[in-house]
Amino acid sequence: MAPDSVVLDVKDVRQKLGGKQILDGVTFQVHDRVRPGTTTGQVTGLLGPSGVGKTRLLRLIAGLDAPDQGEILGPEGTPMPVGSVGVVFQNYILLRHRTVLGNLLAAGTANGMPRREAEEQARALLSRFGLADRADYYPAQLSGGQRQRAAIAQQLVKQKLFLVLDEPFSGLDSAALENVIELFSRIAHNHEDQTLIIITHDIRAAMMVSDTLLLLGRDHDTSGKIASGARIQEQIDLVAEGLAWREHVELDPKFVALERSVKARFARL
Amino acid sequence: MNRTALDAVLPNRVIDPGIALGLVAAWVALGIAVWFLSPFATLPTPGQVGAALGDLWLHAGLAQELFTTLRLILHSLAWTVVIALLLSYATVLPAVRPLVGAVSKLRFLGLTGLVIPFTLMTGGGYDLKVALLAFGMTTYFVTAMAQVVADIPRDQFDHMRTLGAGELRILWEVVILGTADKALDILRQNLAIGWTMITMVEGISRAEGGLGAVILNENKHFKLPEVYAIMVLILLVGLVLDYGMGLLSRTVCPYAELDRVRR
Repeated sequence: MAPDSVVLDVKDVRQKLGGKQILDGVTFQVHDRVRPGTTTGQVTGLLGPSGVGKTRLLRLIAGLDAPDQGEILGPEGTPMPVGSVGVVFQNYILLRHRTVLGNLLAAGTANGMPRREAEEQARALLSRFGLADRADYYPAQLSGGQRQRAAIAQQLVKQKLFLVLDEPFSGLDSAALENVIELFSRIAHNHEDQTLIIITHDIRAAMMVSDTLLLLGRDHDTSGKIASGARIQEQIDLVAEGLAWREHVELDPKFVALERSVKARFARL
Repeated sequence: MNRTALDAVLPNRVIDPGIALGLVAAWVALGIAVWFLSPFATLPTPGQVGAALGDLWLHAGLAQELFTTLRLILHSLAWTVVIALLLSYATVLPAVRPLVGAVSKLRFLGLTGLVIPFTLMTGGGYDLKVALLAFGMTTYFVTAMAQVVADIPRDQFDHMRTLGAGELRILWEVVILGTADKALDILRQNLAIGWTMITMVEGISRAEGGLGAVILNENKHFKLPEVYAIMVLILLVGLVLDYGMGLLSRTVCPYAELDRVRR
């Protein structure tokens, strides 16, 4: 893929739900990030207040729903059918009747992968995600963090270039948050073409892990009245700001200043 | 927090298994005491019932009658499982839902009025009894199981779609395997429903025997100790079947027990 080429192109997407405009002209692009000598994937943080339509947009990107208008294209302008985008839902859905290993195997065989290959891939992922000793556990026996990792691993059994995560930082304490951010960085930068889209309202966490921030929100008219239908209000290139791919970036005064600015903007979305 | 026996009489408390067992024993003892002290002259004493049960078992071929009844209920249950599960899983097809809804409504019909049409269809005898029992249980099974399928959250289907599964694989994984524990629970309840219908169904055609036929015969001759002996046997066998179904459910679907523990 050529450097800076478009890996995700969301064009003027509109969608109504129950007669109400939810998304109204959502447009953005995710570009291939390249760092010479380093494998670099893409991490886009999609920020927006609760109820603005983030999960609705997730469903469109994942191909679970079709937009009323507009289109969503993948690398080289190709459509992205359902199943090509991995989704980790907010409640970390797993098959409750299968063990952790069984869940990963089901993901492999569902894609037509031979069972032996699926098992090799599943066991490798369980080791990578620190779940090798939980292979025979049922989802009900996992902690929240383990469940999240199992849900991500399940989506990665079949190598998917896109992974969308819905509110992955919810309910995490600061130690767990750091671990999750580190995990996401590892996943994203494991493959040059890997793209993570993290849908969240946690500004700080999103800024720590992303290379691009998107602010989804509704317009306000001059009298302060909120328009129906959300669109991308701002796109922030954290690479250009010098705030991407850095450890302890949150300690940088520039990060702090930008976080404050995004928070102020967020309050008006 | 320390658990004490006092917790048993306080609302929303968890009690130790030992105390729970003691409570069961206490209630059983109370039931037997009430039976012993009953002022109703028509109610046989536990001793009379025990003696009648022994006599029926040793001299009147009650074991054979029990076998006949068990064969009938298990045969009917097998048909019920096949028909009801096929109908319930078929509700993923919108075109089939009205049919399944109609089958579910048939549970209000009752079995008595169906004896004549079912006799004409089956020729009577054992096949008639199987058909009646299977019909009775199927209407309840379909009602509960179709609701279980309808209640599967949409996220479960979407989750499998994001994994790249086709709709048939989703049917297998989410609808069939994903509800297996609930199907077994419903089966357990339907076995109990079928068991309560047994007396009536076996009474329709008594030639093949069975517990239902025996109890009606004893009833006709007003042999109350024998009637109660058979009722006790029906209750005990019902409890054993229920326990067996519970064991099967826990063995086949251990994850369901984990969910219950977490609650």
